[in-house]
Amino acid sequence: MTDPKKMKKNKEKSEKIGVYICYCGGNISDHVDVEKVREAAEKFPGVAVARTNSFMCSDPGQELIIEDLKNGVVDRVVVASCAPSLHENTFRSAITRAGANPYIYDHANIREQVSWVLHGDKATYKAEKLVAAATGKAGLLEPLDPIRVNARKHATVIGGGIAGLKAARVLADRGLEVVLIEKTPFLGGNAAGLDTVAPLGEQCSALIAELAKGVLEHTAITVLTRSEVVGFNGYVGNYNLQVKTTLSSSSAFDKAAGHVVPFEGDNADTPTEQNVKTGAVVLATGFRSYQPKTGEYGFDDHREVLTLPEFIKQLSEVNCSGDILELNGRKIRAMAVIHCVGSRQIPGIHEEDENGYLNEYCSRTCCSSILHAANTVKEQFPKTNIYDLYRDIRTYGRGQEELYDRAARNRVVFLRFEAGNSPTVSANDDGSDYALKVTIEDGLTFSEEIEVPVDLVVLATGMEAGDVSDLVSMMKLPVGTDKFLQEVHPKLAPVEMSVSGIFLAGTAQAPMNISEACNGAAAAAVKTASLLSKGYLELDPYVAAVDQDLCRGTGACVDACLADGALEMIDAETENGTEKKARVVPALCLGCGACVAVCPTGAIDLKGWSLKQYEAMVDMIVADELIDI
Amino acid sequence: MSDKNKKKNKNKAEQERKEDMKRLREERKSSIQRAATMVKTQRKDLKVLMKQMGSESATAPELAQATGMDVAQVIWYLATLKQYGEVVEGAKNGSYFTYKLVVKEPEEAVA
Amino acid sequence: MTDGQTITCDALVVGGGIAGLQSALDLADQDFSVVIIEKDLSIGGKMIRLSKVFPTLDCSSCITTPKMASAAHHKNITIYTWCDLKELTSNKGSVRARVTQKPRYVDQDKCIGCRKCEYSCPVYVPDPEQGGFCATKAIRIPFSNAIPQTAALDPESCMLCGKCEKICPTGAVDYFQKPFDFTIEATTTILSTGFEMTTIEGKPQYGDGKVPNVVTALQMERLLAPHGPYNRVLRPSDGMEPDSIAFVQCAGSRDKSMGIPYCSRFCCMYAIKQAMLLSGALPLADIYIYYMDIRAFGKGYEQFYQTAKAMGIGFIKGKVGRIEEAENGSVAVRFEAQDGTGVTTENHDLVVLSLGVLPDWSPEGICSVSTAEDHFIQTVQPSIGPTLTSRQGIFVAGAASGPKDIVDSISEAGAAAMEASNYIIAQGK
Ligand SMILES: Cc1cc2nc3c(=O)[nH]c(=O)nc-3n(C[C@H](O)[C@H](O)[C@H](O)COP(=O)(O)OP(=O)(O)OC[C@H]3O[C@@H](n4cnc5c(N)ncnc54)[C@H](O)[C@@H]3O)c2cc1C
Ligand SMILES: Cc1cc2nc3c(=O)[nH]c(=O)nc-3n(C[C@H](O)[C@H](O)[C@H](O)COP(=O)(O)OP(=O)(O)OC[C@H]3O[C@@H](n4cnc5c(N)ncnc54)[C@H](O)[C@@H]3O)c2cc1C
Ligand code: SF4
Ligand code: SF4
Ligand code: SF4
Ligand code: SF4
Repeated sequence: MTDPKKMKKNKEKSEKIGVYICYCGGNISDHVDVEKVREAAEKFPGVAVARTNSFMCSDPGQELIIEDLKNGVVDRVVVASCAPSLHENTFRSAITRAGANPYIYDHANIREQVSWVLHGDKATYKAEKLVAAATGKAGLLEPLDPIRVNARKHATVIGGGIAGLKAARVLADRGLEVVLIEKTPFLGGNAAGLDTVAPLGEQCSALIAELAKGVLEHTAITVLTRSEVVGFNGYVGNYNLQVKTTLSSSSAFDKAAGHVVPFEGDNADTPTEQNVKTGAVVLATGFRSYQPKTGEYGFDDHREVLTLPEFIKQLSEVNCSGDILELNGRKIRAMAVIHCVGSRQIPGIHEEDENGYLNEYCSRTCCSSILHAANTVKEQFPKTNIYDLYRDIRTYGRGQEELYDRAARNRVVFLRFEAGNSPTVSANDDGSDYALKVTIEDGLTFSEEIEVPVDLVVLATGMEAGDVSDLVSMMKLPVGTDKFLQEVHPKLAPVEMSVSGIFLAGTAQAPMNISEACNGAAAAAVKTASLLSKGYLELDPYVAAVDQDLCRGTGACVDACLADGALEMIDAETENGTEKKARVVPALCLGCGACVAVCPTGAIDLKGWSLKQYEAMVDMIVADELIDI
Repeated sequence: MSDKNKKKNKNKAEQERKEDMKRLREERKSSIQRAATMVKTQRKDLKVLMKQMGSESATAPELAQATGMDVAQVIWYLATLKQYGEVVEGAKNGSYFTYKLVVKEPEEAVA
Repeated sequence: MTDGQTITCDALVVGGGIAGLQSALDLADQDFSVVIIEKDLSIGGKMIRLSKVFPTLDCSSCITTPKMASAAHHKNITIYTWCDLKELTSNKGSVRARVTQKPRYVDQDKCIGCRKCEYSCPVYVPDPEQGGFCATKAIRIPFSNAIPQTAALDPESCMLCGKCEKICPTGAVDYFQKPFDFTIEATTTILSTGFEMTTIEGKPQYGDGKVPNVVTALQMERLLAPHGPYNRVLRPSDGMEPDSIAFVQCAGSRDKSMGIPYCSRFCCMYAIKQAMLLSGALPLADIYIYYMDIRAFGKGYEQFYQTAKAMGIGFIKGKVGRIEEAENGSVAVRFEAQDGTGVTTENHDLVVLSLGVLPDWSPEGICSVSTAEDHFIQTVQPSIGPTLTSRQGIFVAGAASGPKDIVDSISEAGAAAMEASNYIIAQGK
């Protein structure tokens, strides 16, 4: 690790800064005059070369940097392109490939911060300013070494649904120790309430049983049911989870409540708390079924209106013969299913919930699931008429369009409605003995208003994000506007969360069906395995460092520090005898700089983000004469 | 090896290569012929097109009309010449963009 | 690499599209050794040819090139492009692939990608990488961010004039290059062979490829791409900037009579994306999408669709029955409105077909993995092991097992890499 003393001595600025400016196809160059920025940059102090490329992140772009470094033309690198979150690593590894230290690099974001928000001269001006600032800082950059920490070959999976089971199993097969934490007494999650499932009609309990067996029989997996995480600290590779296990009797979960129970292992008789030391966490906390509001399509007002999960459960318990479905002794001569209940809500059309939220997303699984249920009914009880009221039929996946075709062949009657013109469900008043009547303006027949009398209405209720607010605040997890947990980037880092070492599996992230949840889980597992399988990790060295000569041991920094344990006072032997000095624990330091601000002697500073570097950036920003406006 | 020998060897190698090339040409006779015919048409088209463009800028339909070429063919050549830096796009004229030759020796493209 | 050589590795990845690259990276990051074989001149698959990608509208290059570059530079990954997989057999914890290296007529070790040969070559050939809208040369670097940046000569269009050989600064051009075979021995394989699209040709109702200004969605991606053929959106018949553009959805999909009964899954979303990009590029143009159902099911997709609607893109519920040439390069689109109001015809300047998706590779005669009725590779545990094929130790990821967008392909690629890792470990290697 770099000695702070050396940092100070090495005061001279680099005179060999290379500036590389990206067109980003046209994403940047359509708004920023990139060549003008290059010309300006060439004149900034310390800049040896300034170059442009249509995609700096491409191989030819990276090659520019590598060539210059190898030829000794430059010894500091500034790339002006998209947000560093996208490609900082790309450029760092290019620099490493050239044999240089990856931390001699600084980044100017001239896409998200410039070309996407400004146009014309203003954009070019701001781009020049950002590049100027980056060169100012780059001149003072020092080679740094990453912080190497040991990583536990141990992962914790939170949530024992389909995704959690899959993740636990493949992680254990990979050779990691695994703890699976499930808050209910059951494994299987929401899927445990399903009967046969779309698209293939497999028995869901069999799928869960197979997954659960693989987990329960695996010697490397510890399953903690009725358990929740109540405390969380540490850092990537070395997290500590406080896990609380409650009593069976205190559990609010009833075996009869529709849970298929493949797991009978709940035998703890005293509430316990334990500490789980782990390397990484996979969040598989799943979803919650949407619960319609009272009066929404007649829900709660009419007992003949069911949600899809309720209907699936009742259907699975049916044991009548004949060609008309009977539920609880009632003949269902006609039924209507309504799609998109609690999903695809549109501002201005749908009513927000008490917190002002709308579920604007599609729940992805309900179309297939309800068509599967409709087919199940029709193929057993052909005389039960089914009206399917939909906005779009979303049978996108393998085997799903067949469900739609089959439903049409089974003579399910399809009626189409617009979001702004939803059907209504009301008590039937036409004198017949149908309990309900559904009214719709059918988009498939000249928007004619149609009334259908029915015995039953099933609402294709969608998914909502599970309530994991405790985990969100404990682990500082990002949540999307749809309230599901938010990945870093859907394509670059699709199962990673911004907190390093925490991954997303299954419907905790977004609605998915079983197959997609399993893919998400295994994808999260492979990232976990890559992270932990070496047994050590390298962290960015942007942490505080104390200049022992300047430190007077006031401890102001320790009081200001935001991370538990990142700073401590030690007894150091100096020429004046034993003195109190501050010491940084690099792996715990957040690099936030709270300590830097309070140190009376300026003894503590951040590596890679020093005060001097900030000053140099500001100097360059205010140096207007450098920029040709 | 003496200089003379070296030279001799070189000559021999050259001779062999010539033979090889001959054989290859024979092998690829039909595709070479096809390509050659294609190039002939392309050269002719390009010559006409570039002559018409001269120093003026013009739209694809204008060039098509003036040269009697198919307008789809004209835009195909223009796009190509633009890719290879021979032509630049100019101002818009109605719904069509105009194109102009880059002032430099155009021999590379027609050669 | 030489003729007859055998290369050994932990995992072989067949197909270097986004799925294959992601699988390879996820394996290599765990220190498994990986070989990728790719049949094309460059890795990157369809994605590197796209403009911007839904739902975030990131530029496709910005996401793909770094993955391509990290795979190409990864110490545990070796990539062979321009390869032909002849045979793939699996047996007791090992797989064996017989591969032919096709000739580029350019020495890959010598070529520095300077493009001097390309500039000097006199033969113009329609550039498949630009939808055929402009030409490339008989010898060329396939496209600007291709990996590897190695030229290749197309012997079908070359007239052996000798110019490229003469101008090449490194003596890389080699007219006599021959194909040769090599063998890869691995513990496991991931098939990530992706998809291709059906053609307009053979679909008389859509004009059979003979109606000008009817383009495929992949061609539209090129028109919208930063380094596209025109660097803007123009009508290919005459270079006019179009005022009215229409998208025809399910063009060949969800229709048994056209051979594809299933849904091609990502065309709704890319049509909406292209429509949005068009309305940015041509703010005055009218843009319509003819559709039956809009399938915007992924994370953020429905919101993307609603944004497009709010931007004024016209969504017309109807099945297009016929596409014909109209006056002045316009295209007449005849459709049956879904509300039962009958058949209507509208004229547009440019029409984009969302054609059906087919597998890019058939294992028939090469490898004994089974395919399903839809011809994509069959998965034997579709619900809880979606990447497992009928052969132990052979896994599948991405569009090779049915159409899948990038997000789903990447997720599945990670999953396949996990299963493959565990398979390697189970073999005790
Ligand atoms: C009505 C309906 C019908 C469906 N039909 C089908 C179908 O036919 N085919 C199909 O493929 N898919 C179907 N699905 C989707 C399927 O249910 C999901 O894909 C699957 O259940 C997702 O599993 P999961 O593990 O992601 O989430 P979940 O099943 O929600 O599991 C999450 C688990 O985490 C636990 N948990 C949550 N928070 C915590 C915490 N803080 N600590 C500890 N544990 C916690 C929960 O108790 C639960 O056990 C349907 C969904 C619905 C709503
Ligand atoms: C017009 C269009 C626009 C799209 N836009 C978007 C979008 O905006 N967002 C989005 O998420 N998705 C989009 N998609 C979908 C996206 O293209 C796919 O999700 C993605 O390409 C799938 O990746 P893949 O790696 O599975 O397949 P591919 O991209 O097809 O890659 C497969 C690779 O395998 C190679 N290969 C095939 N057979 C062999 C063999 N036998 N040996 C060696 N190599 C072989 C191929 O050459 C290819 O390189 C779009 C698709 C189209 C058609
Ligand atoms: S899957 Fe179907 S029913 Fe469910 S929200 Fe989406 S469109 Fe509506
Ligand atoms: S030899 Fe062939 S590829 Fe080379 S320049 Fe001549 S025509 Fe082009
Ligand atoms: S073959 Fe020769 S001329 Fe062509 S790109 Fe490669 S190095 Fe340059
Ligand atoms: S994704 Fe949309 S356009 Fe494509 S086949 Fe499916 S429904 Fe049709």
